[in-house]
Amino acid sequence: MSVIEIEEKSVEDAIKVACEKLKLPREMLEIEIISKGSSGIFGIVGVKKAKIRVKLKAPSYETAAEKAKEILTKILEYVNLPTVVEAEARQDHVYLNIISNGSGLLIGKKGQTLSALQYLVSRMISKEFGQNIPIVVDTENYRARREKTLQELAKQLSKKVKKAKKPIATGPMSAQDRRIIHLTLKDDPSVRTKSKGEGNMRRVVIYPVKTAGRNQKNNGRRQNR
Amino acid sequence: MLRELVEQMAKALVDNPDRVQVSEIEGEQTSVIELKVAKEDLGKVIGKQGRTARAMRTILGAASTKLNKRAVLEIIE
Repeated sequence: MSVIEIEEKSVEDAIKVACEKLKLPREMLEIEIISKGSSGIFGIVGVKKAKIRVKLKAPSYETAAEKAKEILTKILEYVNLPTVVEAEARQDHVYLNIISNGSGLLIGKKGQTLSALQYLVSRMISKEFGQNIPIVVDTENYRARREKTLQELAKQLSKKVKKAKKPIATGPMSAQDRRIIHLTLKDDPSVRTKSKGEGNMRRVVIYPVKTAGRNQKNNGRRQNR
Repeated sequence: MLRELVEQMAKALVDNPDRVQVSEIEGEQTSVIELKVAKEDLGKVIGKQGRTARAMRTILGAASTKLNKRAVLEIIE
């Protein structure tokens, strides 16, 4: 659903036309007034039309959650697996939980299948509502388990980096996974993290942060951020 | 089953759902699913860097594993 612009004699007229055109009540629309228009002098000189820009109001996460649940349920109907989908509108995203028989089928290798489902549902929802709504698809508590594993990994790697005083890279990871690594080590002053590589091969590199004494000697070799 | 899955996914992604055509060529082990969409919707089912197509293939792969089969998704221009 796109943005439309309407020009009419007055702002009120323009809003009326917009509602008729979109067949929606005014409350559903976000209206931005571009120019108020003026009737000019005696309605002859300097007549300017009023112009407004009309956009659909952001849908509530509850609405989006209902729709997302419906879409995901429909897709899963064709995967020969008994599943129930739970939807929940959370503060900053819509959370969908697939309850199934506990086989890893819907998770896939490194969560591939789950990511694919999540991506597709996001695309379908953004098409439906005309804007992006963050969606998380989960099953068998996978996301939480994965987060824990990655935090553990990040801590172990940072220990190694501190000991060896050399940068260490993780394996290739998805953006979500990298984010968890960055966040875990964000508050550790003795290491810093940076993503490197292109596309599918992007990984997180953990660098040791040199302590004040050594800093001067190695100044010329400091890694650029 | 697999044909309907692809049809369902494709229809929810495109602007012209009535112009989505899916056919399945069944082999002994492998099924080939052919997806045809309106020309202007081609980008929608492929996605940036083929991401949408890849996601559909991944889900198709999971669904066919359940049926002890293999399936290939072909997007036909």
